Amino acid sequence: MELELIRKCKAGQSRFYEPLVRAYEPAGLRLAIAMMGNTDDAKDALQMAFIKTYDTLPRFDLRRAFGPWFFQILRNQCRDMLRSRKAKFNTEALDEQLENRPADAERGPERLQQRGAAKELLWRGLEQIGTEHREILVLKELEGFRYGEIAQILDIPEGTVASRLYHARSALKKALVDMNAEYP
Amino acid sequence: MDTQRPERPAQVTSEALMRYLDGELGPEEREHVERGLAASTELQRDLAMYRAMKSDIQGLHFHPASDRNSVWDQVNARLNRPIGWVLLIVGTVIWMTYGTYVFATSPVSPWEKMGTGAIAIGVLMLLASVIWERLRELETDPYRDVQR
Repeated sequence: MELELIRKCKAGQSRFYEPLVRAYEPAGLRLAIAMMGNTDDAKDALQMAFIKTYDTLPRFDLRRAFGPWFFQILRNQCRDMLRSRKAKFNTEALDEQLENRPADAERGPERLQQRGAAKELLWRGLEQIGTEHREILVLKELEGFRYGEIAQILDIPEGTVASRLYHARSALKKALVDMNAEYP
Repeated sequence: MDTQRPERPAQVTSEALMRYLDGELGPEEREHVERGLAASTELQRDLAMYRAMKSDIQGLHFHPASDRNSVWDQVNARLNRPIGWVLLIVGTVIWMTYGTYVFATSPVSPWEKMGTGAIAIGVLMLLASVIWERLRELETDPYRDVQR
């Protein structure tokens, strides 16, 4: 199905691009928010990434998976925007977007407050560790990509993924400890 | 006499620990890490900490984009814009060429042709210079990324 849509888009029929955009938009937005730190910049990055993806579709090898290829373009777009706009990852805009899970609400307001504080702390930690560490954690933990897919998205050897994840997790732990958070 | 020494838990690298945590190891490598874990409380503590961190990050959820707020409309508009521009430019060139031909071959006096031609060329030159100036400014415009 996806392959057929891509084939039609490659042939210049842009109306077949809509299902692809809608399918990848939620995951793309999560990654972009995690990289940019706010919804407005994330949506700009996502929009540009979809346009760039469509423009480069003629060069897309149909034997490759579309997902990792799109996320690679999105990740590069976010990095470019962070560089060119001097935009700073900023957690202030995230507070309203964090979703509290129903289970938290059932356990009472105190639990809800604790979880909210823990999430905020975690975001502040992610803010401090820098784009390179943050992006690999987001790809692994929020998007659930396998090492092979992460390697493809980040354009690095598969063997490097584990080492990068180790450094990212260690950096996050250090950031949390520096904020006087007891971890775990 | 049995000269065989008990097998020491082999060294577990940080990369292997990450692969174990993320379920990326084969059966043999997994067994190797589990042997290391059984022999080292420090390694167990590290694994528990990374597990907790993994679970907490996975707990950061966002509301998925609803259809109403989808970026598709903007994407679609941008994808179709070049087609609109191409049609506009091609249509304008055809009409201008035809108009010029009709005007040049019409039986009006040469003075009328020269006057009208001068006005048309003047308008085109002014338009071209404004476009050129705008394009040059765009390269250094500090507000080019500001959204309306």
